[in-house]
Amino acid sequence: MPMLTNRRKEMAVAASLVAPFVLTFVVVFLYPTIRLVQLSFTNAPLIGSGEWVGFDNFIRLLSDRLFLTSLKNNGYFVLLTVVPTTAVALGFALMIRRLRGALQALALAIFFLPYILPVSVVTQIWTWMLDFQFGVLQPVIEFFTGKPVSVFKNPYWVMPTVAAVTIWWTNGFNVLLFIAGLRNISKDYYEAAQLDGATRRQLFTKVTWPLLWPVTALVLTLQLILQLKIFDQVYLLSSGGPFNSSYVLLLMVYREAFQLNHGGYASTIALVLFIIIAMLSVLQFQLLRAGGRR
Amino acid sequence: MGISLHNVRKSFGPVGVIHDVSMEIPTGDFAVFVGPSGCGKSTLLRMIAGLENTTGGTISIEGRDVTDVEPAKREVAMVFQSYALYPHLTVFENMAFSLRLKKTAKSRTNEMVHEAARILHLEDHLQKRPSELSGGQRQRVAIGRAIVRQPKVFLFDEPLSNLDAELRVQMRLELAKLHKQIGATMIYVTHDQVEAMTLADHIFVLKSGVIQQAGKPLELYDNPDNQFVGGFIGSPAMNFLPGRVLGRQHGLLRIGLDGTGKELLAKVRAEIGEGTSVRIGLRPEHLQAVDNGIPATVELEEDLGGVSYLHARLIGGQAIVVETRERRKSLDGQTISLGASAEDILVFAEDGRRLR
Repeated sequence: MPMLTNRRKEMAVAASLVAPFVLTFVVVFLYPTIRLVQLSFTNAPLIGSGEWVGFDNFIRLLSDRLFLTSLKNNGYFVLLTVVPTTAVALGFALMIRRLRGALQALALAIFFLPYILPVSVVTQIWTWMLDFQFGVLQPVIEFFTGKPVSVFKNPYWVMPTVAAVTIWWTNGFNVLLFIAGLRNISKDYYEAAQLDGATRRQLFTKVTWPLLWPVTALVLTLQLILQLKIFDQVYLLSSGGPFNSSYVLLLMVYREAFQLNHGGYASTIALVLFIIIAMLSVLQFQLLRAGGRR
Repeated sequence: MGISLHNVRKSFGPVGVIHDVSMEIPTGDFAVFVGPSGCGKSTLLRMIAGLENTTGGTISIEGRDVTDVEPAKREVAMVFQSYALYPHLTVFENMAFSLRLKKTAKSRTNEMVHEAARILHLEDHLQKRPSELSGGQRQRVAIGRAIVRQPKVFLFDEPLSNLDAELRVQMRLELAKLHKQIGATMIYVTHDQVEAMTLADHIFVLKSGVIQQAGKPLELYDNPDNQFVGGFIGSPAMNFLPGRVLGRQHGLLRIGLDGTGKELLAKVRAEIGEGTSVRIGLRPEHLQAVDNGIPATVELEEDLGGVSYLHARLIGGQAIVVETRERRKSLDGQTISLGASAEDILVFAEDGRRLR
């Protein structure tokens, strides 16, 4: 039965090849996820088991003022970052594409550089730049508002500022995706459109935009997922303050789990965030794809 | 005059790619630019389209100087090698693209696109996307997009090179038919001399940005101005053999073939000094088996059915291709004796110039 042994051998090889991934996936993702779901129905502390409390945690969430504030702030942050960062990245990519040779490489490097910095360095840079007394950017703020503003201690300024820092930090990667997408559009399309009498505006709306749409949809979706998971920048820049005006869901998970020792409740929040992200990103991607097909 | 070029030049930085090209293409003509890759034929076409600036000289279309006119206003349409069909648009939308940019009335757009689709047999495919079409169909859509614009000049940049051999022959015929049907001026760029021969009213042979010769296909074939044109036009290529002028005999030039001890007579009027080194050009179909001719050993036979090609070698070591239509027993490995009539022997100077 040479066929059968061959088949068995193939299976064994295949299994041994996928085993490391499957094992890692089960140990560090699947098992913790299942445990998280279990925990969210208990009143367990961070370490050790708790009692089954049914949907109590979820019901409690609905009336938790901080949860609702955080949810709203997460939404606000998404509004402040996802579309703006995509638009900014597209704009820069279009400009960088016009450059040639070394100049283009330099521009790309400049935009990508912040992306390789660790978040703590990024937040430190901006803390200094926006320092109320010594920050180099305070004169700029003063020019527009008439007085210096302690941005991370001001409930109106804090979220937009964190959003701006985030865009500065992560934009390079999006620029890179757009540059790659733009390079994939054949020059022939532009020349054909030019011969047909397209203006520069029409070249963008009729050629670049529709042909780049798959990349745009990808960037928007990646950004939505990333920005819903906001934690480090807020934690380091404002710790959720002032008056919880920059409090976000992951900050709440952190507080409930590691500061208040409420493992069960923290799991509930994390689970809800997970479901929100999964639903929104799938929904958005489907909508964007449908939009592209039109 | 359809298209006139006067001393047109193009350089990229210090590198000149087109050198003082002048030509006249009559209205309604099918002109073909042919040459090896890098000869500047595509650049020249793109300059006529307005996609490349001209460094010097003037380009006129139907009497209007368009040298500095933007592409869209030159009333030319171009078919790209890649077809450049927009993947997100249907066949109809692709063909209607230019009309929609110009905000043409819907009914008129419909009418024109359907007319083009009828000519190109694309009526059943109008609602499909380019990705759902075969190579030949895409090619036709690209042509349709050009037809819809009703341009004065059609420009084709190697339009058939992405198709397989069979389809290429078929599309070649369709293009020829289309030209008859529409009657517009067409310029066609190709590196394939067979395409050039079969399609062209006039061929322009280019090399290194210089026109080597222009004329009707058979003129170029029968009467090349230089060794390059002689070698480029025709398949299999013309044989070139080195030789030396020995003198004159009955008004014909006596040329000794290097390394063979044999001589040929060529009909050349020009005075050429005895002992001058020359190159003899012989088309494979002009070589015949003669008594006491140039001996050659057959190394390989290619039988194509109606015609056979013998790949042979002279005593001097020069390779030579002979066309034969006689079906005989295999000549492989045998020595044959070759000759040609004086009218069929072309003579070129050392620098490639034709000596007439």
